[in-house]
Amino acid sequence: MALAEICKISNAPYMRRTAWDLSDVEEDLKAHTSNLANPYTLAAPPFENPMHNLNLIQANADKTGIKIDFDHGTTTLGFKYKGGVILAVDSRATGGQYIGSQTMKKIVEINQFLLGTLAGGAADCVYWDRVLSKECRLHELRNKERISVAAASKIMANIAHEYKGMGLSMGMMLAGYDKRGPGLYYVDSEGSRTPGNLFSVGSGSLFAYGVLDSGYHWDLEDDVAQELGRRAIYHATFRDAYSGGIIRVYHMTPTGWIKISETDCMELHYKYEEQKAQAAAAAQ
Amino acid sequence: MSSRYDRAVTIFSPDGHLLQVEYAQEAVRKGSTAVGVRGSNCVVLGVEKKSVAKLQEDRTVRKICMLDHHVVMAFAGLTADARILINRAQVECQSHRLNVEDPVTLEYITRYIAQLKQKYTQSNGRRPFGISCLIGGFDADGSPHLFQTEPSGIFYEYKANATGRSAKTVREFFEKSYSANEVSTQNGTVKLAIRALLEVAQSGQNNLEVAIMENDKPLKMLDSKDIAEYVKIIEKEKEEELEKKKQKK
Amino acid sequence: METLLGIKGPDFVMLAADTTHARSIVVMKDDQNKIHKVSNNLLISTIGESGDTEQFTEFISKNIALYKMRNGYDLSPHAAAHFTRKNLAEYLRSRTPYQVFMFVAGYDPNDGPELTFIDYLASAKSVNYAGHGYGAIFASSIYDRYWHPKITQDEAYDVLKKCVVEIQKRLVINLPNFNVSVVDKDGVKNLDPITAKSLAAEPAA
Repeated sequence: MALAEICKISNAPYMRRTAWDLSDVEEDLKAHTSNLANPYTLAAPPFENPMHNLNLIQANADKTGIKIDFDHGTTTLGFKYKGGVILAVDSRATGGQYIGSQTMKKIVEINQFLLGTLAGGAADCVYWDRVLSKECRLHELRNKERISVAAASKIMANIAHEYKGMGLSMGMMLAGYDKRGPGLYYVDSEGSRTPGNLFSVGSGSLFAYGVLDSGYHWDLEDDVAQELGRRAIYHATFRDAYSGGIIRVYHMTPTGWIKISETDCMELHYKYEEQKAQAAAAAQ
Repeated sequence: MSSRYDRAVTIFSPDGHLLQVEYAQEAVRKGSTAVGVRGSNCVVLGVEKKSVAKLQEDRTVRKICMLDHHVVMAFAGLTADARILINRAQVECQSHRLNVEDPVTLEYITRYIAQLKQKYTQSNGRRPFGISCLIGGFDADGSPHLFQTEPSGIFYEYKANATGRSAKTVREFFEKSYSANEVSTQNGTVKLAIRALLEVAQSGQNNLEVAIMENDKPLKMLDSKDIAEYVKIIEKEKEEELEKKKQKK
Repeated sequence: METLLGIKGPDFVMLAADTTHARSIVVMKDDQNKIHKVSNNLLISTIGESGDTEQFTEFISKNIALYKMRNGYDLSPHAAAHFTRKNLAEYLRSRTPYQVFMFVAGYDPNDGPELTFIDYLASAKSVNYAGHGYGAIFASSIYDRYWHPKITQDEAYDVLKKCVVEIQKRLVINLPNFNVSVVDKDGVKNLDPITAKSLAAEPAA
C-alpha cells in the first residue's frame, strides 16, 4: 500500500476497498428501511428519476433482458346489490409460469366493515392494505366514528397517485358499509379511483365479466348473489391459467362482513359438471 | 416575581401557571363580547362590534366569519390573530372535503382549531393566540352544534355560551334564562342571543352583529333594521313583565 | 379514447362528455361523470391520464371553493380558467406533471359566458366551441357548419347530438353515452344525457 500511496494511485477506483464498512451498511439499511418507521417513505426504485427511467428499462426489456416482471395473475370481483356487497376471489399466486401458492388470501379484512381485494403485485397490495388498516383504525379513534368507504378509498388513491410511475402494481376493490349504505370502490396503481356497482380485476376478469354481466341485476337474492360471484370466479379459474385454487366469497352486510364460503375450484368444477350432466339427463 | 416566568410561553411558573397563556386569556376578556346560542333547528352567533369610527367603513369590521358552508365562527380577542386562525381553518375545511369527501363535523374543526392553539402554547418562539372562538354550525346528519375554544387549546360544547368582555355576566344570564322551549324556534333563539348581548352591550343595539345559520341554508346576517325590530319586541316583553310584577305586588 | 365537447352561446355554455371509464381493453364503467360542478356558475370537464384527472380536478375545485370562503364571492370563470392553467403549467415543469385535458366553462353576471379550452401542455384559449379527444376531430367540422353567434340552448343541444351521432358512426371506439350540462345566468343544470338508446328512440332525421 505504501507504494501505492507514493505513486498516488490510492484514490483510483480500483484501489478502493470493496467491502462496506459499518457506517455504509447502516446508511444503506436506513435508506431502505425507513418505511418501517414511516410507511409512506417506501424506497423508490434505486436509480435516478425512477418515474422516467423505470419506463425506459421496461421499454428496453427485450434488448437488455432486464425486466422487472410484475406478475399479476388473478381474478377478483365485487358487486353491489340490494343485499349489500359481494366480493369473490381466487387464491392462486403466480410468478411467471410458476404457481407460488394455491392458498393466497386475496381478500384483506381491514376491519369489520371494510374489505379490500388484491390484484397485481401481492406485496404492494398487502403492504398498502396494512397501512390503510392502520389509517382506518386511527381515523376511528380520532373521530369516534368508523371511516367511510369513500375516505378509505381516497387514502389508497392518494398513496397510489403519490407513487405513480414508480413501479407499484395494484388493482384493488374496497368494499364496505357505512352511513351512506353499501360502498364499492375501484382503486389502482395509476391513481384512479371510482365508485361503481360492479367491478372485476385481474387477468381472469374478462372471463368473470362474461358470467357476471349475464347473471347480474340489482334485486338478486342473497344466496343467488353469492352463487353468482362464486360461479364467475370459477369460470375464470377454468379459462385463466393464472387463476385458481380456492374460491373465497365474502358478503358485506349492514352489520359487517361475513365469510360465506371457501371452496376448492376443482370441487366446484366437478359439482357444476355433475349438475350439467343431470340437467342434460333430465332434458332427455 | 412573575417577571422571570412570563417571558417564554414554554415555561411554567412555580405555582403551575403558564403566564403567557393566562395573559392571552386576559386579552380575550378585554375583547368585545361574543355570544352563541344553539337552537333546536338553528345556531345563532352574535357579537358586539367595538364602536366604529365615524369615517370608518362599517363592512370592514367583521367578527363573524364563515369557515365552510356549514360552519360559522365568532370570536373575541385580537382580530389580527383571528385572521390567521380563520385562514388555517378554512383551508382545513376544504382539505377535509378533498381527503375524506365529507364536510368537516363541528367537533372535528373545533378540535383542529384547539389543537393549533395548543401548539402555540408549547413551542418556542411563538406566542399563544389571543382569541377565544365560538364555533357554530351543522353536522352532515343535520344536528346543530356550538363549541367554544380558548387560547390554552381547550374546547367544550355548549347549548349557549359567551366569551369576551363581561362573559361571566352573560353566562349567568344564559344559565338563568335559557329554556329548551325558548330555543325550539328560530325567533326565540335569536331573541335570547340579542337579549344576552344587550345585557352587556356598551353602545346599545347599534353595534350588534348577528348571524343565523340553518341547516343547508346560506348564513343569514341580520341588518340593523331586523335587530331593531327584535330589540323592540324584547323591550316590550320586559315592560310587560315589569307590569305583571307590579300587579302581583 | 375519451371525448369532451363544449359550445358557447350568447348567454350560456354547454358541455358534453362521454361516460366511459376504460382500462386496457376493458370498459370498467359506463356511467363515469366527467363534468364536475365546481360552483354555482362554474363547470370543469376533464379527461386524460386516469388518476391525474380526478386528482387535478378536485385540487382545483377545492381551491376555488376556498377562494369563495375566504373572499365571500366566487372566482370569475375567466380567473378560474387562468388559475387552472397556471397550476397546470407549474406542474408541467415539475417532476409530477398532470396529463389532463379540460374545459373550464362558466357564466359571469357581468362578462357573460366563458368557455376555456386547456390542454395537457397548459395552453389555454377562450373559444366559442371546441372538443378534446378523438371524437373532437369529427365534431370540429360539425361545429364549423352549424354554430352561429346567436345559437340557442336547444340548437346547441342539437349540435352536440349531431356530434355524438357522428362519433358513434365513424369513431372505432365505442362511446355510447354522453352527459350534458349547461351553465347560464340561472346556474348549472344537467340536461338529459345523449345516449345510443335515446338517439335510437328518435325518428331518423
